[in-house]
Amino acid sequence: MTIPAPAATNAETAPVVKAPETVGRSPGQLMWLRFRRDRTGVASAVVVIFFILVALLAPVISLVYGKDPYTLYGQDTPGLLNDFGYPIAANGGISPQFWFGIEPGLGRDVFMQLVYGIRTSLLIAVVSTVLTTMIGIVMGIVAGYAGGKTDYFIGRLIDTLLSFPSVLFIIAFMPVVENLFVSADEETPVWLRAVTLVLVLTLFGWAALARLLRGQVLSLREREFVEAARVTGASPARIVFKELLPNLWTPILIQSTLLLPALVTSEAALSYLGVGMIEPIPDWGRMFRRGTEVYQNDITYLIFPGVALVIFVIAFNLLGDSVRDAFDPKLKR
Amino acid sequence: MTVRKRTAVAALAIGVLAVTSACAAGNQGAPAASSGGPSGSAAAPAAPAYKPAVITVGTAEDSKGPAIPPEGVVKGGTVTMIDRDDFSHLDPAQIYVNTEANFGRLISRTLTGYKRVAKGEFKLVGDLATDVGTASDGGKTWKFTLKDGVKWEDGTPITSADVKWSMERTFAPFITQGPTYIQQWLTEVDHKKAYQGPYDGKELDAIETPDDKTIIYKFKTPHADANYAFAMGGYAIVPKAKDTKEQYDKTPVSSGPYIIKSHVVDKSMDLERNPNWDPATDPIRGAYPDKWHLEFGFEALQVTDRLMADAGPDQSAFTFYASAPPERLQQVLGDPALASRRLNSPSPYGNYYYFNLDRVKDIKIRQAINYAWPSKQIQQVLGGPAAAALPTTILNENTTVGYQSYDLFGKETKPEGDIAKAKELLAQSSNPTPTIVYAYNQTPVQEQVTVAIKSALQKAGINVVAKPLDRKTYYDSIGKTKNEFDMYWGGWGADWPSGSTVMPVIFGPVADGAPNYSHLKDPALTAEMDKITATTDIDAANAAWMALDKKVQETITPLVVAENRIATMLHGSKVGGAEIDPQQWVVQPDTIFVKP
Repeated sequence: MTIPAPAATNAETAPVVKAPETVGRSPGQLMWLRFRRDRTGVASAVVVIFFILVALLAPVISLVYGKDPYTLYGQDTPGLLNDFGYPIAANGGISPQFWFGIEPGLGRDVFMQLVYGIRTSLLIAVVSTVLTTMIGIVMGIVAGYAGGKTDYFIGRLIDTLLSFPSVLFIIAFMPVVENLFVSADEETPVWLRAVTLVLVLTLFGWAALARLLRGQVLSLREREFVEAARVTGASPARIVFKELLPNLWTPILIQSTLLLPALVTSEAALSYLGVGMIEPIPDWGRMFRRGTEVYQNDITYLIFPGVALVIFVIAFNLLGDSVRDAFDPKLKR
Repeated sequence: MTVRKRTAVAALAIGVLAVTSACAAGNQGAPAASSGGPSGSAAAPAAPAYKPAVITVGTAEDSKGPAIPPEGVVKGGTVTMIDRDDFSHLDPAQIYVNTEANFGRLISRTLTGYKRVAKGEFKLVGDLATDVGTASDGGKTWKFTLKDGVKWEDGTPITSADVKWSMERTFAPFITQGPTYIQQWLTEVDHKKAYQGPYDGKELDAIETPDDKTIIYKFKTPHADANYAFAMGGYAIVPKAKDTKEQYDKTPVSSGPYIIKSHVVDKSMDLERNPNWDPATDPIRGAYPDKWHLEFGFEALQVTDRLMADAGPDQSAFTFYASAPPERLQQVLGDPALASRRLNSPSPYGNYYYFNLDRVKDIKIRQAINYAWPSKQIQQVLGGPAAAALPTTILNENTTVGYQSYDLFGKETKPEGDIAKAKELLAQSSNPTPTIVYAYNQTPVQEQVTVAIKSALQKAGINVVAKPLDRKTYYDSIGKTKNEFDMYWGGWGADWPSGSTVMPVIFGPVADGAPNYSHLKDPALTAEMDKITATTDIDAANAAWMALDKKVQETITPLVVAENRIATMLHGSKVGGAEIDPQQWVVQPDTIFVKP
């Protein structure tokens, strides 16, 4: 990978010379310009922002829409579900009252389930992505820059984590957490499940990013500009933050934009296995799983969460691509 | 790169449009909303209403072979059986699971057995014995005479010594599964302490064999229904001369119509005819196909899809146990083309939501929960009236001789729960807004059922704390007597059609792991159960069990009667005589035949 010249990345210290419009922009500005020109990127960003807004505004949407994700409409009102528990009306029971239809079996509102499900899944995924990235950056740079014993120990830790069967661990770990923190006659609080999920996903997520960054740092720290900084007496902190980190933003951004949708899907997979968020907390992944079970009779119930998940994951991946392209125009083919 | 990205977006957009514009039809095909039938047991639409099986005691004449052939029977051919699990035990003494007992009928025989007389009609007859046995001494002594011409697969005759040996070896330390009724009747409750098996040369004096054909069991207490117990697959016989102890579980010797030719564990098994089995001695087994091919390792969904497709060799295939899963039920029941290949039967088991009486002490609260219970909603989650019936009694109508229905909590008029009545009872109770810790087995379906329960009880003002339990250790968790839950589901299957294999067990001794999950300790009840068990008149005993059933629910209310699952199974178009055994809840092999 070609690395942009270090001088150019030092945005704050770059001498500002009165010059024609094409020169004198900071790399950030250049990146923004290039990104705006990439229509796919902008469209993906809009989609992603839309999803985030939906997640944030779920209670408002519920208020306007007039329903909540917990009431069993289909069971309380006769005539919505047939004897097998499937919606009687066509298209999974879509009506002016139920925009996305009703859930087979329990008869909850699909639209509200989806909105709140996105909220649950995105919240967990965003928090774990932020934590994962931060830990990954710190561990990666420390390992790469410090070298020696530190590098050795962090390297082995990463090896262990990468080779660890994370899903099995989570399945075994969740009941332990519940036994430790929740007394037998209390329900497991939602926050405890969420926090545990975030922590566990983070624990197994940072290793890949750290290993990648360690490699980058390893090659960067022998470069002339780092040597020059070291010769001039720069402190290690300055070298890490001012010399190395600006060169690492590209892989970090790309990794984290790829990580977020991956975490949404793995959170979904965990719900699938019964260790993620459980009923009655709405969950995107669990909706999808239920959809795959009932699709032969009620395809609509699979389509809404499924298509939403596909759009979100693709949009986020495309956004990640575009950001990468914008950061590093030389890589563009 | 950019170009490829655009195509991807375009393709996605088109895909989304295509999918959303393709309208999904509604589900009107099924009966709309509530049918409101009594107890909801009106089975599948367009299918005849289910009639519980009739089981009577047959005579010596009934015990003579051969079996009554089903209509249009054809001999010969190879039948295929597909299922999920291989049989974990082949040694009869280790068999307590319904599928294993069912398979056991192909390779081993018991003293008594159930003979199919007509559809849904069974008679208890002598299998190896000439009749159903003669009781004397008020039901303490049971005498059986073996038939002439019954042989092992090597042609040696089956003697009373073999039958005695088969019972004695169930006391051996390596026998860990299997029923224990007769062992306990012969000795004491802790039967393995009383006798350690015949392998060290000691015989069990309580079984006498005056000659090669006669065998006499002497029980410590009277048991008028003992001949039903001898019909259990776990009491099938093992040859004294060829008993290989632990090894016998792998290489059983056949006394039935077939011999195991090859067995690849967890994959397949092939059976061929036993030349020394004489149909004239066997009133139960038809054994019409020449060969059996059994395949294992297919989930219920795969089995259902294969049998629905009915392609090629699968036309002569059926399944012992794989019931259509809820997600295929509407198709399986809705397709008129499948009607002739469809079997259904409600489960013979008792399923209960037990109260933990150590914690939920107020009977008013227990009854209020019974009134508020969302039986209909749970039924809907499970797949509707075609997937689950809503019984109202502790004893199951399918496995209780002399069954009588009663409805204490208005479940027939209000299966969705009577919230007003529940609130009224709660207002009179010690705590009008109780908190109930409900523990459940954490499976996707049970999670949904829990949502329905929580929603309904909350309407009555009961706060429900739902505790998911790991599915592997579910019974261990609720089996602890000091558990911290108020309610939990538990099932129990009758071992023969009598209340004596249900009530004294589920309200029996309170111990860790014992099936008395409600921790009901009532000396008066125990005394009454002992009295009924000792009753020598079977009809009187059955009536007494039914009366006790109602009395327990009325005066103690230790449980909420749970929904009863209905199995729906398919078989291939060339398979004839497939019927679900109402007691074992699996397709029984005796009447199966293959059409050419």
